[in-house]
Amino acid sequence: MTYQIELDRVEKHYGRFHALKEISLAIPKGQFVALVGPSGCGKSTLLRSIAGLERITSGTLRIAGEPVNDLPPRKRDLAMVFQSYALYPHMSVRDNLTYALRLKGVSRAERARRAEEVAAVIGLETLLDRRPRELSGGQRQRVAMGRAIIRQPRAFLFDEPLSNLDAALRVRMRKEVRALHDRIGATSVYVTHDQIEAMTMADHVVVLQAGRIEQQGTPMALYDRPANRFVAGFIGSPAMNFMPGVIAGDGRAVRLALPGNPVLETAIAGTPGLEVEVGIRPEHMVLGPLDAPHAVPLVVSAVETTGAASYLFTEGEPELIVTTEGTAAIRADDTIGVSIDPARVHLFEPETGASLRSAKL
Amino acid sequence: MSGAVTNRVLLAVALALAAVYLFPLYWMYVTSLKTQSSIFAVPPEFLPGAPQWDNYATIWEVANIPRYIGNSLVIASGVTLITALIGSGCAYVLARYRNGWIDAALFAVLMLQVLPPSLMVTPIFVGFASVGLLEYPRFATILAFSAKTMPFFVILCRAAFMTVPRELEEAALVDGNSRVGAFFMIVLPLARNGLLISALLVFMNGFGEYVYSASIIADNRLQPASIGMTNFLQPNVVNWNAIMAFAATYVTPILAAFVLLQRQIVNGLTAGALK
Repeated sequence: MTYQIELDRVEKHYGRFHALKEISLAIPKGQFVALVGPSGCGKSTLLRSIAGLERITSGTLRIAGEPVNDLPPRKRDLAMVFQSYALYPHMSVRDNLTYALRLKGVSRAERARRAEEVAAVIGLETLLDRRPRELSGGQRQRVAMGRAIIRQPRAFLFDEPLSNLDAALRVRMRKEVRALHDRIGATSVYVTHDQIEAMTMADHVVVLQAGRIEQQGTPMALYDRPANRFVAGFIGSPAMNFMPGVIAGDGRAVRLALPGNPVLETAIAGTPGLEVEVGIRPEHMVLGPLDAPHAVPLVVSAVETTGAASYLFTEGEPELIVTTEGTAAIRADDTIGVSIDPARVHLFEPETGASLRSAKL
Repeated sequence: MSGAVTNRVLLAVALALAAVYLFPLYWMYVTSLKTQSSIFAVPPEFLPGAPQWDNYATIWEVANIPRYIGNSLVIASGVTLITALIGSGCAYVLARYRNGWIDAALFAVLMLQVLPPSLMVTPIFVGFASVGLLEYPRFATILAFSAKTMPFFVILCRAAFMTVPRELEEAALVDGNSRVGAFFMIVLPLARNGLLISALLVFMNGFGEYVYSASIIADNRLQPASIGMTNFLQPNVVNWNAIMAFAATYVTPILAAFVLLQRQIVNGLTAGALK
């Protein structure tokens, strides 16, 4: 199978700084891939390397099966949407949209036709003769998208395109960008530091940290089976709770360092006596009566309410977060009973951070 | 002291300084219209009683003004052309890269700016003489003075280029442009104002150039106006009204250009300073 974009052990050094470490990634045609990670993790460098704005130090980069390591950006036939939109300020919206076509030598009439067509798709028909500085942030964002679409490139590259928009517009554009991707059957690589954007938009999510791919897979695979502590903590909001624990019984149970030292029967096998780090997502800790079997008594230190859900922060070390639906009638200093779904528990080796589950699977 | 009073005092100081600086200019115009005798009148005449417009007609013919100003134009244009062609490329590189070598280069460029022409003219003269450049005195002057204006131009242009975001260039590269194409289609149009203003300042500098022309150009027919003016200074007679008429003819076009473009010039000089 030939992939639309394929990276094979790609490395990038800036002098002594090792920015990308052995990146291997295969993107089939039509897929929406999100590169996500904290700032400085190399996600933008990776995108810029695909675009050809950075030269990779070693490894192979193929686009539609053809190695492009030595090709300049203009010969790669990719379109890129920049975080700052990078609209040409001295050109009208129409000229911004058709700039690439003009460079390709497309006739004036054809350019005008395609500009109208794309303007209709992105809803900017009436603004074609404006200059970028006369547009709002959302409109500029659309022009940047239109400039990419009009070329019908082999793939779209997005570098945090929504981060300059306000929250409401960002949520709307998230859906629109994805809908656009599906409608034109594009292949997209989308860089973001926002894991919610990655989870909601992408078919395939790649989590990067310190220049290395920590894990890649479907959004739900990353959520349900994080390969290590980093991915477990990065994906999901609010972030996963971590606490120390010890493998107990015949190796299929874990004793938590929580009040009452509860023992959970897990589906994960380990060596009895092994110290592990236990991860439980806030939404998998269920509020219940204090006298229920296995209920852990916890004291609440603070409550945050969003309306749809409430986040309860607990006292003690480590601080835990418990999510409940709706607005809870719970105040600070109340004691709550929390039951933990043993099937939703993740175990990690304390030193390497690797998931015990993935070791056994 | 309240803000309004402070402002007024500062304005008064500014006006006083401007008056001191502009008085010679005024005196030049007034003197150019006086008769020989009224120049030395005591007390001095601040307005000429009978303006002698003939002074201008006389020097236009006698002093070969068209030839001198023509030479000045040739030198100024040559200097501007060479400085702009070489300097803008240099400024672009200095604006786009950031490392130790670039810092060293910038420091060197600033040092060049410090050296006065009167210090440089002797070594340049000797050097040019040994390679035969003095055979073409105007060209030699252009070369020598271009070296002087280059640092100034490079520093100003670098600021202009730095106001153009790098991402615009990258967008053009991804859109299918080459590096050179992106420079000419995106960077140059956006930095145009800064470049034009810098070039204009270089041109005005070249138009008034004196030190190099005085040393390098011996032939009277090739000398620029700045030298031509001194021909009126003779050991026994100094023709003040003729010199002033010559000077007025020489600087008025420059002054006019400066006044017309002053808003853009100020913008160009400060562009990039705030970002």
